[in-house]
Amino acid sequence: MAWLTRISPAALRILALLAVLAIVILFFSSQIEGYLNGRLFNRISSSVAIMALIATGQTLVILTRNIDLSVGSVVGFSAFATGSLITNNPDLNPLILLLYSALIGTAFGVLNGALVAYARVPSIIVTLATMALFRSALVEYSNAKSITSDALPAWLTDFPNLPVFSIGALEFRAGFTASLVVVILVHLCLTRLRPARALFAVGSNPEAADMAGIDAKRVVFAAFALSGLMAGLAGFMFLARFGNITVVAGLGFELKSVASAVVGGVNIFGGSGSVIGAFLGAILVDLLETSLVRWAVVSEFWREAVLGALILLAVTTDTLLSRRLATLRARKSKETAK
Amino acid sequence: MTQALAPTLALRGVSKHFGMTAALTDMTLSLYPGEVHAIVGENGAGKSTMIKIMTGIHQPSTGVLEIDAVSVTLNGSKAARLRGVAAIYQEPMVFPDLDVTENIFISATKGLVLNRPAMRRAARDLIARIGIGLDVDRIASGLTLAEQQAVEIARALSQDVRVLIMDEPTASLSAHEATELRRIARSLADANVSVVYISHRLEEVFQLADRVTVIRDGRHISTKLVGETDPQTMIAEMVGREVGNYFTKMPSTATAETLLSVQGLSVDGVFNDISFDLHRGEIVAMAGLIGARRTDVGLALFGMLKTSAGTVTYKGEPLRITSSRQAIDAGIAYVSEDRRKLGLAMDLPIRWNISLATLGQYLTRIGLISTAAEIATAWDYKTKLNIRTPNTEIPVGTLSGGNQQKVMLAKWLNMAPDLLIVDEPTRGIDVGAKAEVHALIRAFVAAGGAALVISSDLPEVLAMGDRILVMREGRQMAIIPHDQATQESIMALATGQKDAA
Repeated sequence: MAWLTRISPAALRILALLAVLAIVILFFSSQIEGYLNGRLFNRISSSVAIMALIATGQTLVILTRNIDLSVGSVVGFSAFATGSLITNNPDLNPLILLLYSALIGTAFGVLNGALVAYARVPSIIVTLATMALFRSALVEYSNAKSITSDALPAWLTDFPNLPVFSIGALEFRAGFTASLVVVILVHLCLTRLRPARALFAVGSNPEAADMAGIDAKRVVFAAFALSGLMAGLAGFMFLARFGNITVVAGLGFELKSVASAVVGGVNIFGGSGSVIGAFLGAILVDLLETSLVRWAVVSEFWREAVLGALILLAVTTDTLLSRRLATLRARKSKETAK
Repeated sequence: MTQALAPTLALRGVSKHFGMTAALTDMTLSLYPGEVHAIVGENGAGKSTMIKIMTGIHQPSTGVLEIDAVSVTLNGSKAARLRGVAAIYQEPMVFPDLDVTENIFISATKGLVLNRPAMRRAARDLIARIGIGLDVDRIASGLTLAEQQAVEIARALSQDVRVLIMDEPTASLSAHEATELRRIARSLADANVSVVYISHRLEEVFQLADRVTVIRDGRHISTKLVGETDPQTMIAEMVGREVGNYFTKMPSTATAETLLSVQGLSVDGVFNDISFDLHRGEIVAMAGLIGARRTDVGLALFGMLKTSAGTVTYKGEPLRITSSRQAIDAGIAYVSEDRRKLGLAMDLPIRWNISLATLGQYLTRIGLISTAAEIATAWDYKTKLNIRTPNTEIPVGTLSGGNQQKVMLAKWLNMAPDLLIVDEPTRGIDVGAKAEVHALIRAFVAAGGAALVISSDLPEVLAMGDRILVMREGRQMAIIPHDQATQESIMALATGQKDAA
């Protein structure tokens, strides 16, 4: 087991996630005929394209020992607002449209961040409230009308499905590829940029962060703003993928994004985790959901329960394993110290 | 150290008020480059407020803070660090999820993109400068306290520290680690850093410091060269009165009745073959260095560790317990060394903490908690143990260390135990409170109880123990009757310089 203590815990998490993904795929391909094909990949990748962005933002917030429950409503609002802007101005530059959705998301994130960081209201309360507020704002703003896909320009609805490149039977489409690029960019920033270290520091030991001269308030504020930004971008993707936007768009995304992050090894108590992990977590959650639909053994009434149980299992195993690993490490470092 | 130089940092007539209370009054202090300046005083004397003013966490209400003879205003710890003032504490401020390198450079601000290889090299250089062996890639959560402090010192060095404040740095370290830390402190001073050293261990102050400042009740009492003072004078200045019997052993009250008999007790891989008897009215002190596994023996007797061999006879019958609940029911109390983690609910009122383990006694007939009875008990202990608090409703966390310790003792004494196991009863608390805690434990055994006192403080071991059990790395080295024990003989056994008898 010596290699277990040598490899970094973060890398080990990713490896474990990949292993679990492989096991789940193997299991279902033994259960469902014609399970493993390009269509499965397309289905999952197009849905992960949206969730990965939200989970990335959620990860940034969780790293600072907070939670953002408003992301679902932000996705809905930004999807609707962006949709109505392009419906009314069909010739708008795509970049401006993207910027618009990002700005809307950021604005909501800034509001959350200000309330959590500067008004010092616990994030679970703030975002529980803004989740409802943003959703009501959407209902009010939409006037109970929907955006329909035939009102949208073709470039927008075609964009997610544009093939970019393929590896074997796996076709990487523009939506998923763009989202993957964002995740990798955020990952690089998180690991390589100096200010990003503050995010981990604040979540790891807030008192020490304060002593080290880190402005914890600003860090928490920034995390929420970025989470809003990611949710805004996800809103754009949501609009492009579905075209039809109603007032319930993005409902339940907040919990799914938390599930993705946590399954992906992001510590719910802050301080550790990676967006790559959250990305893989999003894939795993979506894979389970999609596969369970096709698995005749489980009736649809039990599907949610099975999914819940699997999430619980994944997180429990992860917690137990990392605790065991920590003991192993401590013992090893004691031995080397002797 | 030449007085002709301008002080690196100076407090001139600094006062600090919090509402109506004055934490510091007209405080004066000058720190010169290259000196180790010890600051001593009882808990609550104003040391922490002083540190917080020097590190920019608090601003003086009146008076000025000077750096290089220029009056400055420090807004926050970041401003202080930029001026070269840094502090390390008894509980190190590290980030458990980050590795050593990341921890050292967490406050650095230069550059946007991290240059990992360069950072690791620089981290290694800093660690080498301190003169210890530590892998810079290790995650901080696995480091010992001493290693975490080294990381903090390296962090301060990386920012060109000029004034390093060390607040009780050796309180939780083993003797060897403490020696190492003092060596580091001295080498920093030799490199022209002003080291402020705050410690309750007076012998340490005399070993290390060049000058020593005594403060009491927020006021400056004296600043002397170490050669011009002695421990007795210093203690007298600290408490403002002569402390008579802190170091004096009281006559034993041991009776012939054996309360606890431990034979060959072992926990695999932790400790082996521990055997001793404990009589009613007796105090057995357990001495040893950190890592001697004394706490584990205590935890095993309290049912928190599964034993692998040996027998425990308690009140004449074999003791079979597997949980702390059973231990409590049997009349065994364990007062943890870690007040914060295992001892007290810091955010809850004193009254709630005192009744926490014995809540069953305070129920009315219909099963509600009788607040009146709870308050009566809490006030009773407040008076008996001299807990310094305006009332029993304020959170325990707001009390000083010594008073927290008394609340913890009150909580366990309240269950009227027969056997009291106390782990490091006076760590980090001031001399006056120490004497009070000692008196409490003595009164408890004199009334027919028995106590096992685990302590790393040798004067305390000698002052408390009717007999002294010395452990080293999980082995019982000897049991010495009080009249044959000296600091030197205990230390020789604990460090393995003298073999088990």
